[in-house]
Amino acid sequence: MAKTVLIVEDNELNMKLFHDLLEAHGYHTVGTRNGIEALDLARKHRPDLILMDIQLPEVSGLEVTKWLKDDQELKGIPVVAVTAFAMKGDEERIREGGCEAYLSKPISVGKFIETIRHFLGTA
Amino acid sequence: MGILTPLRHYIDSLVHPTAQCDALTAARHRAFIAPRLLGSFVALAAFPLYLSLRGVPSMLEVLVFGWLIAPILIAYFLSRTGRYESAHLLSSLALSGLVAVVAFETGGIGSFAAIWLVVVPLEAALSASRRVVALASAFALGAAGFLLAAGWLEFVPALDAGSHGALAALGIISASLYATGLALGAESLARTSLALLNAEEDRYRLLARNMTDVITRHGRNGAVLFVSPAAEPMFGVAVTELHGHGLFDRVHVADRPAYLTALADAASQDEARSVEFRVRFEAPTGAVNFLWLEMRCRPLDRSTNDGQESEAREVVAVLRDVTERKAQEIALDAARQEADRANAAKTRFLATMSHELRTPLNVIIGFSDMLVNEDTMRIDAKRRVEYAQLINDSGHHLLSVVNGILDMSKIENGNFEITPEPFSPGQVVDICCELLALKAREGGIDLLAKIDKGLPDVVADKRAMTQIMLNLMSNALKFTPPGGKVTVGVRIEGPHLVYSVNDTGVGISAEDLPRLGEPFFQARGSYDRRHDGTGLGLSIVKGLLTLHGGDLQIHSRPGEGTRISVKLPLDCESARRAQAAAAAAVVIAAQAKPAMVTAKIFQSNQLQVKKSA
Repeated sequence: MAKTVLIVEDNELNMKLFHDLLEAHGYHTVGTRNGIEALDLARKHRPDLILMDIQLPEVSGLEVTKWLKDDQELKGIPVVAVTAFAMKGDEERIREGGCEAYLSKPISVGKFIETIRHFLGTA
Repeated sequence: MGILTPLRHYIDSLVHPTAQCDALTAARHRAFIAPRLLGSFVALAAFPLYLSLRGVPSMLEVLVFGWLIAPILIAYFLSRTGRYESAHLLSSLALSGLVAVVAFETGGIGSFAAIWLVVVPLEAALSASRRVVALASAFALGAAGFLLAAGWLEFVPALDAGSHGALAALGIISASLYATGLALGAESLARTSLALLNAEEDRYRLLARNMTDVITRHGRNGAVLFVSPAAEPMFGVAVTELHGHGLFDRVHVADRPAYLTALADAASQDEARSVEFRVRFEAPTGAVNFLWLEMRCRPLDRSTNDGQESEAREVVAVLRDVTERKAQEIALDAARQEADRANAAKTRFLATMSHELRTPLNVIIGFSDMLVNEDTMRIDAKRRVEYAQLINDSGHHLLSVVNGILDMSKIENGNFEITPEPFSPGQVVDICCELLALKAREGGIDLLAKIDKGLPDVVADKRAMTQIMLNLMSNALKFTPPGGKVTVGVRIEGPHLVYSVNDTGVGISAEDLPRLGEPFFQARGSYDRRHDGTGLGLSIVKGLLTLHGGDLQIHSRPGEGTRISVKLPLDCESARRAQAAAAAAVVIAAQAKPAMVTAKIFQSNQLQVKKSA
């Protein structure tokens, strides 16, 4: 069975990019633009990995990550932050927030896939 | 004076170094040494003359002349050791001894010389020491006692009665003369002492009058007992008005506790205290303002306090006007805060710029990367076209972001050219409604236009006005949920044309309202964000409006929608000319403060202007 990745991303085009990239590499994806919905989707689909944008409407990706890591059932799911916040200190802050990995936008497709495989293995 | 001057210098040089630092003590030493040296030398000089007149001297006469050397020795003793009291005692002892011997030889207590015993305590009086006077009196009385006893025991040699009257006169006259000398000496010393006292008082008065600092003395409860005259210019009131609680009444209410605490601490804890407080200053014109004073206070020494009221110590304080220094401190603080703010704004500006550029770049690089590896990604022809279109769209979005930043920068630097032309204000609303009709329909929002009939033409930059209205209307649509309503209107209000954009959207919270349009403002300052967009819109709107001499008003409450009105002069060109003159003055002022200009640019470049949830 294909591994499932939950994509939390509010920019439509970026969502499509991640969706197409992951599908092309044989992963199954679930997507949402909303951080609060992300939690429900995580409970419902039990994804193998979560791609988390940090700047989101309503609540930030960091906040959502904190909720995930506070949840006994969900805290085992690795969270990879993918964000356009790439200033000095952003990576440290995001890793301290509980994310297992950090990728800055614009992504390199090779590095992106490599990171996904690191957590999920080849699909 | 020709002879006396070197003599005076010689005597001055004989004064012991320890006595020279104090003028009065030095005068006493001089008054002791000078007559003794002079008297003795004159007496010694007269001795050969005396011998030539009298022939071979008697034993007594030799003794007397010999004794006259004693004052020289005593003066030398004082000059060497500086022990003034001892010198006086030695002198009294020598005189008493001489008188006793002479009187004994010349008839005991009844002798012409006995009167000289009176001189002994008189001479001691010059020493200004009770101990010396007491001892000198004791010597004189002792000598008198010795003479009485000798007379009673009939040891006294028999006297030639014939010359007694002449000798008695000589004794009285010489003693009187000597006493006169002493009296003159005493008077001279008293005069010196008074002159010194006056000089010192003058010196202090001069200091007090010319010092800008004020000296105060405080008694129990901080009540003022003394204020130096410098207080008059400092407080603008007579010194007497500051006595008692007059000074306290002038201390700023907020600073009164600190003022009283400092005085109380200084009085009770034996330590110097320093405090800064404000006082009311009344200018002769009647204007009242506050000065900053620094007060350093310390307790008065108990010993100089005459031992009275030892329970409540008195406190001496020095007050100094530190208003200028304080103003500098405040200005410096404000400048530092301003710089910090500018720095923080700069950091936020860069972070947001970076974020806004990276987001479309991610799409461009990501999809083009996929196209490069189309074989491994199994991308068909249809997808290829789709990706190319997405890359193109993102490229255009990126271009609009870059253009927005450039527009802002141009507006900031005054390089944004507007070309005013007459046009009908309703046109702009029509154009914008057409452009946004589709977006409104997609969002399920009613877009209504209310254009007053018979509006006159306005003179403004039509392109800029269209951009302003497009930005405001897009914002309104973006923040209005489906089923809501956006109403656009244009009307005349006095000399102004007013465009309005009202929506039934999410609204803006009270604390965000004043900062809205403040450049680079991010309502939550964190990563969460309700709506997409570069956020440049409102900053550019404000900039363009300023160029037209217009302004923007926003009324809103969370959940109750937002009403925005844009107010423009009917003829922007003439309004602009008037503004340009004012702006030129601003530029000159700004050039004088380069740091502040930089700070302003960063603030104005703040991109993210948005409404919070």
